[in-house]
Amino acid sequence: MSSDFEAYEQDFGTLTAEITNKIGRIPKLAGEEKTQLVLNVDKQLEEVRELLEQMDLEIREIPIQSRGMYNSRLKSYKQEMEKLEKDFKRSRIAYSDEVRNELLGDDGSSSESQRAHLLDNTERLERSSRRLEAGYQIAVETEQVGQEILSNLHSDREKIQRSRDRLRETDANLGKSSRILTGMLRRIIQNRILVFILGAILFLTIVLAIYFNLRGH
Amino acid sequence: VAAYAGKLTRNHHHILFIIIIFFTRGSSKMEDACDLYGRAANMFKMAKNWSASGNAFSQAALLHLQMQSKHDAATNFIDAGNAFKKSDPQEAINCLNRAIEIYTDMGRFTIAAKHHVTIAEIYETELVDIDKAIAHFEQAADYYKGEESTSSANKCLLKVATYAAQLEQYPKAIEIYEQVATHAMDSTLLKYSAKDYFFKAALCHFCVDMLNAKLAVQKYEEMFPAFSDSRECKLVKKLLDAFEEQNLDAYTDAVKEYDTISRLDQWLTTMLLRIKKSLQDDESDLR
Repeated sequence: MSSDFEAYEQDFGTLTAEITNKIGRIPKLAGEEKTQLVLNVDKQLEEVRELLEQMDLEIREIPIQSRGMYNSRLKSYKQEMEKLEKDFKRSRIAYSDEVRNELLGDDGSSSESQRAHLLDNTERLERSSRRLEAGYQIAVETEQVGQEILSNLHSDREKIQRSRDRLRETDANLGKSSRILTGMLRRIIQNRILVFILGAILFLTIVLAIYFNLRGH
Repeated sequence: VAAYAGKLTRNHHHILFIIIIFFTRGSSKMEDACDLYGRAANMFKMAKNWSASGNAFSQAALLHLQMQSKHDAATNFIDAGNAFKKSDPQEAINCLNRAIEIYTDMGRFTIAAKHHVTIAEIYETELVDIDKAIAHFEQAADYYKGEESTSSANKCLLKVATYAAQLEQYPKAIEIYEQVATHAMDSTLLKYSAKDYFFKAALCHFCVDMLNAKLAVQKYEEMFPAFSDSRECKLVKKLLDAFEEQNLDAYTDAVKEYDTISRLDQWLTTMLLRIKKSLQDDESDLR
């Protein structure tokens, strides 16, 4: 019994290998050959399914104790077959590399373009980091300039305050001097009035003296 | 006489001019003479004959002194000093000194301080006598302090500190930097410069002794929390570590890294070089 099973396993192995091979080739071909290959793979998948069914029947004839191992093997084979079917389906609609190249122009191998891409990225990163550093330097310089300006402003502020105080003092002094001057002016006027009054009185006395003299004669 | 003298001065007949002045001496004539000297000096200035201009101004100033008008005398001395600055620095300093005497006599300390600064700058640039320059800057700072203009005083003190540190008078420099920095911390306008002063003070401590520097940095961080964020503080800490481990390369690396971002100026390079040399000597001692 188990020898049959092993025979089936071997057949399974070879068939799946062939199928994988053909699936790999399908995208590269086109037209007649492709349809041929597709039919081929279809037939081989049918054979694989029949093999799996026979393996199943074989297992049922084995006593229950030793069934476990065979069961698990069968399960893995079934999974493999499902994967093959999926690949097959995908390959039938997949584009091959060559068709892509014809459309987009010959790129050369893909690893080469990847390398160029990476170099480009590194260069861009370096450029940005250099620009960031330059920006930082400028910020630091701006800070220093700002410090100087601030200290200048501080000293200017003190000068302005001092000038303002001096100005106020001068203003007060000017007010005082103007008051003194008006006082002087007033006194001068008073003096002049006194002089005039005294002069007038003298004049009157002289006139009266002459008058009385003449009257006396 | 005035017009004739004026014409003469244009032809540089200075001596003849003086003789005329002597003959017209008299008190009101003195005022005229001063006036004429002033005009002569201005004409010399136009002709770019600086020493003759300076001489004319000093003569005018002397006459003013005789006439007891101190203000005018002082202004003329200042003009003489400015004229001499371009030809004979020593003579300029003499004139400026006399002017300062007159101003301090009159009690005008602010102006006196300003002229001390001018003299100190002459010593700095033309005559390169750093000690005298420091003395004048200190005098100027004292006068400014007396007149309550702390920012101008601080400006002068900073110059004193820079030169003192260059001449290895570290305690003085440290004291000045700490004083200025503590004052700057409190002012809203100046607090962004405070970290710079702390940095310089820390470097001076470093030149003296490493342990001092460590204590100083801690003290500054306590006083001024923003200091610990600054790049300068980080640099000092890195240098301290490098010094402790006697690792010359780490020291150079830290300095280079700082330099790439903001260039080290002359003073900083000198100080850092001194510290580096002491590090090298220590290393060679241990070996």
